[in-house]
Amino acid sequence: MTHWTLAGTPITSRLLLGTAHYPSPQVLADAVQASDTQVLTVGLRRLQPEHGGGNAFWQRVRALGCHVLPNTAGCHDAQEAITLAQMARELFDTPWIKLEVIGDDYTLQPDPFGTLEAARVLVREGFQVLAYTTDDLVLAQRLHEAGCAAVMPWAAPIGTGRGPQNPYALQTLRARLPDAVLIVDAGLGRPSHAALVMEMGFDAVLLNTAVAQAGDPVRMARAFAQAVDAGRLAFEATPMGERQTAQASTPTLGMPFWHQA
Amino acid sequence: MTEVSMNGRALQTPAATLAELLQQQGYEAQAAMACAINRQFVPRAQWPSCALHPGDRIDVIAPVTGG
Repeated sequence: MTHWTLAGTPITSRLLLGTAHYPSPQVLADAVQASDTQVLTVGLRRLQPEHGGGNAFWQRVRALGCHVLPNTAGCHDAQEAITLAQMARELFDTPWIKLEVIGDDYTLQPDPFGTLEAARVLVREGFQVLAYTTDDLVLAQRLHEAGCAAVMPWAAPIGTGRGPQNPYALQTLRARLPDAVLIVDAGLGRPSHAALVMEMGFDAVLLNTAVAQAGDPVRMARAFAQAVDAGRLAFEATPMGERQTAQASTPTLGMPFWHQA
Repeated sequence: MTEVSMNGRALQTPAATLAELLQQQGYEAQAAMACAINRQFVPRAQWPSCALHPGDRIDVIAPVTGG
């Protein structure tokens, strides 16, 4: 399988996987293996001393041998996200950060202004910023120009599993940002959703709930991995153009039973 | 005694530094955790020298699952 480059790192898998909401740590580990992912997202939350530190979870994640992508989930302004990113960099010893600045708690729609403000600061501080955003073209352009390692538009609100709500907007992003690393980050629910955006030419997808909350997360992880690969292969193969009218596949020349009157 | 807020809970502490406070509160020194005071990141290397002030808001965070 050919590799691509994410934040300066060569990677073969085009599926990034979240670590939340699995039925058990073992199911998470099995799903990671089934997905062939090489990038896992993790979060950061307050630690109470009686919980003994975050070592147990962190050791389990490290044992999976993937690159770790910490997020700033739950932050509501640029300063919160910047501080959490700095804490994550020390804790996980990585400059990678999945930047999330939430603007609306009901839809979890990112705050475009806070996201861009934080992205500019974090890029200046040497972070490899993977910015969660909507499918707004101009914001994606600004994030790319700010030096984000990846721009990550949603397909639908986080955790909804509704699939691409505005395929036209996603196609436009791909067309207008041909040199950016674009990863569809939220709202995918089925492997066909992943295949669809990969056929558009997106560089990768980031999933969590669609795998973790499936009836069988391990089999679903494998299904998504195959869909992502199929979608990418289809993009590289250039799908045929659509036609308005039917065109027979079987040659008409030599059709039996036809005789000149 | 200094009155501070730690992970959203008010407390009075005799600790003079962040490192002392963490120890007094029962945090394991080698735990996978990171700290901020008043929404500003405090690198681990600075914990022993980071003086506490009345009203400081301290956050201690650790890795959790996430998407």
